[in-house]
Amino acid sequence: MSQEKRIVCRDERRGEFLTGTDRMPEQLTVSPSPHISKPLTTQRIMLDVVIALLPATLAGIVFFRSYAVVLIASCVITALAAEWICMKMLGRENSLGDMSAIVTALILALSLPPTLPWWAAVIGTAFAIVIGKMVFGGLGANVFNPAMVGRAFLTLSFGMMMTTWTVPATVDADMPEIELGGETVNAITQATPLSLSKDAIRGDIEADVVNNLLWPSFIGGVGGCVGETSTLMLLLGAVYLIWRKTIDLRIPAGILAAAFVIGAIAYLINPDSYISPVVHLTTGAMIFGAFFIATDPVTAPLTPRGMWVFGAGVGALTMVIRILGVYPEGIMLAVLFMNAMTPLLDGVFKWVPLGGAPDAK
Amino acid sequence: MQVDTRERFTFPAGVHPPDSKELTKDIAIKPLSAGKSVSIMLSQHIGSPCDALVEKKAQVEAGQKIGDADAFISAPVHSPVIGTVKDITLAPHVILGRGKAIVIESDTESPLEKEPVNNRFDSGFDASAYGQEQISEAVREAGIVGLGGAGFPTFVKILADQKQQREALIVNGCECEPYITCDYRVMLEWTYQMLAGIKLAARSCGCKNIYIAIEDNKPDAIAVVSEAVAKSEGSENMHVLAVKTKYPQGGERQLINSVLSQVVPTGKIPPMIGVVVMNVATAAAIAEAVVLDAPLTHRVVTVTGEGIANPGNYYVPIGTPVETLIEECGGLTEQAVRVILGGPMMGIAVADWAVPVTKTTGAITVLTPKEIGPKFHGKQTPCIRCGRCLQVCPEHLNPTSIAHAVRSDLLERAEQYYMSACIECGCCSYVCPANIELTGYIKTGKVLVAREKNRMP
Repeated sequence: MSQEKRIVCRDERRGEFLTGTDRMPEQLTVSPSPHISKPLTTQRIMLDVVIALLPATLAGIVFFRSYAVVLIASCVITALAAEWICMKMLGRENSLGDMSAIVTALILALSLPPTLPWWAAVIGTAFAIVIGKMVFGGLGANVFNPAMVGRAFLTLSFGMMMTTWTVPATVDADMPEIELGGETVNAITQATPLSLSKDAIRGDIEADVVNNLLWPSFIGGVGGCVGETSTLMLLLGAVYLIWRKTIDLRIPAGILAAAFVIGAIAYLINPDSYISPVVHLTTGAMIFGAFFIATDPVTAPLTPRGMWVFGAGVGALTMVIRILGVYPEGIMLAVLFMNAMTPLLDGVFKWVPLGGAPDAK
Repeated sequence: MQVDTRERFTFPAGVHPPDSKELTKDIAIKPLSAGKSVSIMLSQHIGSPCDALVEKKAQVEAGQKIGDADAFISAPVHSPVIGTVKDITLAPHVILGRGKAIVIESDTESPLEKEPVNNRFDSGFDASAYGQEQISEAVREAGIVGLGGAGFPTFVKILADQKQQREALIVNGCECEPYITCDYRVMLEWTYQMLAGIKLAARSCGCKNIYIAIEDNKPDAIAVVSEAVAKSEGSENMHVLAVKTKYPQGGERQLINSVLSQVVPTGKIPPMIGVVVMNVATAAAIAEAVVLDAPLTHRVVTVTGEGIANPGNYYVPIGTPVETLIEECGGLTEQAVRVILGGPMMGIAVADWAVPVTKTTGAITVLTPKEIGPKFHGKQTPCIRCGRCLQVCPEHLNPTSIAHAVRSDLLERAEQYYMSACIECGCCSYVCPANIELTGYIKTGKVLVAREKNRMP
């Protein structure tokens, strides 16, 4: 009996009980119902994410030129190679076709500082794919967002490099200084709006210096990671994802709402030290994280209520780190922390049938 | 009369597969003769299987009762042809794999075709000439079961009294399953016979309100039925509703939610909340059984799909092997790769063409790789937890968690996710971007649980 049970269970093509095939023409096949399906595949979902990241990628290349190109290329090539090697070692079928490695590589590349050496990007990507994804069992089995695992590893290993920001080429690559709200900020290694906001909290500068950066940080042109300078380009990609129904809006909505509320509270308490909540949304990786990083379905909860809590948690933790923490930006740590909460959230928010739980249980 | 088309006639979740009904929707029902032999399964319904009432080599008449059971929930079976019992043996069964069947070799010299009886009914039909008990008794004797697919013995549903008063009768003309048009043709061609059956069923169970629900992608059927209802005598409590076209609108639990905004509690059946749901073809069979005393020996079957040479709607003897039907329809085309008993969403792919048509077989669908789409290659990729299956599940279940529990042999955990509440509609597998056979796993899990409890071989 147990032997038979095993066969029915393991053989994925035989969910049903079928008899001999002697009467059947050879080309006929069987499978469990339903026999038709929506023409949407995992590969298409991943491709959609890549398409949605293209505007931000192009913006990154425009702003940071060869820095961006080198980082993106090294991340993508490393990711594909690492996944291919892992699948070979595991004796599994090649999974490069599902494009998930490219998504991980692209998200990681866009979240790196432009001046990071290519070899550091290679190490970070290899760590993201091998430790962040493959050791858990590959796509769908990882607990943490692989790109953020890779980035966290780089932040811990190469702290200086990961917090060195360059001025975008469009602002003026040859000029080591730029004007910021009437003040001259020394900037071949330019401060990002969020590190300036830390200065404001310490009382070194006025918060308005950062608030005046609202427009540049929206269209792009402030210092920061490769893909996060232009909020506009990120939103363009986000609209595509929403239109394609690739992402669930609950997570980004939760993140942005929580971040805005906490930012607003801080701003209302002391507008001199704390930057405006709107600037919080357009600076750093807030939009990038909300629409592209935290929405990774593998590491987010399954249920709608879980998604709301997950989103709100990421948004709140990000703001706590931005306002009270040591780091100027908190998306990465917030996402990783909430990834760890995902199984818990799936368990807490019970998914009950429409007709209620049966009485006799 | 006014057709009610309020937007609210819908239920949460569900999917919108292409309906593909244009292949057969305009083809009239055509009677088909039985082939050389028919196999009448002794279990064609939910409930106890029948015992054979005839011996090997016995002569049987058309319409003769050849199998019955003492159990309350069961339905007798009848011979559709004049002939000789060749054997009582195990035959391929579409759901059970194998089941006992009475094989009858038909007498080729006698006329085999049975014409539909729809012209015997008109708008003046009066159900009050028949007693409540008389109706349910006739329905039981005729072996009528739910022809929509589930096959629950109909007389049990329409029995009068009992503890729960039957408030509403919902007549299910949704036919949400893609490709199939047998119910659509019945509504168009057998309209008055169907209305007579509805009146008889309503009289038997004492329902106050009757709702005839038709999906709004069948405007012709809605027009014809509502016109007939308007002309009919004693149809004041009949309402024709245009319900939203969405799969699985024709699911009993979903339809009740759409029409009455009531949810049948998990693990309960509609009569427990005073509702009876009945398929349109079942209603037509009731009229024939009560008025003409004719047992259920034939039914309308849609033979369709790009893989069949001449698709159409046929009135066929129950027990006809699939092979005979496919031959009658000109055989398969070169691209045909899958033969399904039923529609593409819930039908079962058959590997053995000796499988006979049963009372619950509404269609034979032959699909090509193009129609099957990405599922054809059958390559399942890992679940990325996208949650699409949760969003489309009309019963609000968590298909991916159930399926993965079954895959890991954790049947208890699958039960904790309410595996038994699954209606097997297939929406989850339909949307799954990873091509995972969620419904297949859940069905397998249910079978394994039933086996553990020794309820199934």
